[in-house]
Amino acid sequence: MAERLLELRQVWKVFSGVPVLKGVDFDLAPGEIHALLGGNGSGKSTLMKIIAGAYRMDAGEMRLLGRPVRPESPHAAQALGIYMVPQEPHVFPHLSVRENLAMGLALGPRPLAEKLGPLLEGLGFEVDLEEEAAFLSIAQQQLLEIVRGLLRDARVLIFDEPTSALTFREAEHLFDQMRALARRGIGIVFISHRLGEVMEVADRITVLRDGRVVLEDAARRLSPHDLVRAMLPDTAASDEEEPAAAPRRGGAPVLEVRGLSSEAFHDADLTLYPGEVLGIAGLVGSGRTELAEAIVGLDPHATGEVRVGGVPLPRRNPALCQAHGLVYVPEDRHAHGIFLDLPSLHTMTAGILPRLGRWLLDRRREEAVGRRFVELLNIKLTGLDQPAGTLSGGNQQKVVLAKALSTQPRAVILDEPTRGIDASARRDVYRLVRSLVRQGVGVVLISSELEEVVELADRVLVMHKGRIVGELRGPEISLERVTEASFGLPLKEAS
Amino acid sequence: MRVSRELLVTGLLVALILLTALANPHVLQFKSLVEILNASLTLVLITLGEMFVILTRGIDVSVGASAGLAATVLGTVLNLGWGLPAAIGAALATGLAAGAVNAFGITVLRVPPIIMTLGTLGIYRGLMRIITGGSWIENLPQSIKAPNLWHFLGVPFFVWVTLAVLLLTAWVALRYRPARYFYAVGDNEAGAYLLGLPVRATQFLAYTLAGLFAALAAVVFTSQIGFVSMNAAEGYELKAIAANVLGGVSLTGGVGTPLGAAVGALFMTAVHSMLIFLGVPGVWDNAFAGVILLLVVFADFRLRRSLELRRRQARIQGEPAGGEAR
Repeated sequence: MAERLLELRQVWKVFSGVPVLKGVDFDLAPGEIHALLGGNGSGKSTLMKIIAGAYRMDAGEMRLLGRPVRPESPHAAQALGIYMVPQEPHVFPHLSVRENLAMGLALGPRPLAEKLGPLLEGLGFEVDLEEEAAFLSIAQQQLLEIVRGLLRDARVLIFDEPTSALTFREAEHLFDQMRALARRGIGIVFISHRLGEVMEVADRITVLRDGRVVLEDAARRLSPHDLVRAMLPDTAASDEEEPAAAPRRGGAPVLEVRGLSSEAFHDADLTLYPGEVLGIAGLVGSGRTELAEAIVGLDPHATGEVRVGGVPLPRRNPALCQAHGLVYVPEDRHAHGIFLDLPSLHTMTAGILPRLGRWLLDRRREEAVGRRFVELLNIKLTGLDQPAGTLSGGNQQKVVLAKALSTQPRAVILDEPTRGIDASARRDVYRLVRSLVRQGVGVVLISSELEEVVELADRVLVMHKGRIVGELRGPEISLERVTEASFGLPLKEAS
Repeated sequence: MRVSRELLVTGLLVALILLTALANPHVLQFKSLVEILNASLTLVLITLGEMFVILTRGIDVSVGASAGLAATVLGTVLNLGWGLPAAIGAALATGLAAGAVNAFGITVLRVPPIIMTLGTLGIYRGLMRIITGGSWIENLPQSIKAPNLWHFLGVPFFVWVTLAVLLLTAWVALRYRPARYFYAVGDNEAGAYLLGLPVRATQFLAYTLAGLFAALAAVVFTSQIGFVSMNAAEGYELKAIAANVLGGVSLTGGVGTPLGAAVGALFMTAVHSMLIFLGVPGVWDNAFAGVILLLVVFADFRLRRSLELRRRQARIQGEPAGGEAR
């Protein structure tokens, strides 16, 4: 066996009782580009953070050139020659490029210039070193991070989804640079969601699923479909749930979006009819949440047309959308959806205060609304005045849903409605979605859990790299097809 | 080329003086200009200290109290018969200690800066009264008042001292490599940590420097007025923050220069002086300074925002988010 640059054996990592890595082996040869793949939550980011010193493993061993190492901090990992190019480059926007590069290095101006010159030339990093770093493009910021790593004599470079914010041409340029670095004997770990580019640059591919290595082979022996199959959960074929009793669909659309664009997504069209669940599937970073936020007017720079209940809303905000019958239930309920320290009731009725009295609140009506939703959603609390922050995650989510539904919307956008909640609460949320649909409400369901989309949705839009790349209907919706489209593989014709 | 805030405020300062001169030409006399400078020294020094804290994205509202405490120690030990150098040493040590206590609470005990320094603001003011029993310190020896009367080329000694301190600070901030840490920590704390910068040590140093500069200011104003009141330097914490903002030191950290901070402080005091020259009653001072601060900051904010907006829109239109062509 060739000499191993980096070697990990039987790595375990547990977060608050939940194992995230379950005995992972991983290695890297000098001059090799080793791609690491896996769906959301497969453990690949955790593994990389262990290598880069941001996390410490709970069990297992790590060797660098045969020597056991255990970096205690990112800085310690850098001293060992391991540098992680983060997904979001860490630049100091108000310092010059040169200062950004020199930061943290004990090098005088002259030795720095001597070391920097050939590096910059080799990478084709054409930028004014005295320019403020805030003016660099994302691609240039990434190059800056690469140069930082090389200035630290890195032997292992880790790229965490480096292309997620790059254009096609910028990505091609980055791949050329990765190949050039590999030729110089640097080992590269490449994390990506995009199978096409993985097949293009990687020498070897490892697939993680649920904290375990499920596939590891030379890239030339693998096809994109092998990779997708490896990433799918074992229970991919299970399809037990009740067949969605023909929803009351039809009538005029409750939500129409035409040509909506922003920084994170481009030219999105969608139409939502009453009584249907429209799933939006896609990987983290594909632009789903940004699309939802733009629809309800949270991104002032988005361009395009949005109609709610047939009414065009060129200048939107969430309150206006709600007034027209569209509510958005955000992904991060703690940051955007709930008053943690206030009585749960206050969150539930926050959207309908004007209906509860003109100046003074009618406490009895308010409590009646609260009790209705506690029953409807099966919310478990000691009383309506229990602070929402003391509820379990599932019940918090139900309180947030009650807030949205108390406004009696025609259309609801649910962003990751079941993230971080337990199985029974999840059932309740699913039940709620089905009952909404029966009442003729249109539901847009955004979820990273493709199983959830497959189970609930009547139609599925798949997003990839900021574009809606396909639509699946009824019987066409399967876990495999949604997964393939999410990873950017072309959709096969319906058979 | 962007107009730097330092230039903008310097230009405004010159305009302010010239406008005042239209109404009252006396303002342009050498003596008047020197007097304006002399009156600004306390605020300039406190502002420079505060600048280090704001650069790291922190805040210190105890600097006025630290200055008051240092002045109290200075006056007390002078009246106990200490020599001038020893007394100044004691005052500077007091400021250093006051800053270090803030630094310890913020970087080691992790108390949020505003809360920590609000607490010590009360403590330091309280200590002043405990030390003196609540009365002013008067009858200071001549030795402390003398330096205020020294002149060189017609300019008071303390103006030269402050200028030297300013130039030293500016040189350090520009040239001394670890001084860049203040900017880096304030600009992107997580990034600074990942690159192995001493984040907490930098923050510790910033608050300690704020205390030291406050003590320096205490020595200057005690010499200038010749007694120590229990309200000495009261309100200077907010003036120092305002002067920094005016001079282009961003409250969100990482942006600003010592020269900008100093010009901001000079401008703040010059507004007061100009109102005197214009014969405007002193009761208008604070309101006037507040309005000017808001105007400058608002104009600057609008300018930056429109630039940012144009950049973002260019990005959306110029580049489809996907680029799917493979």
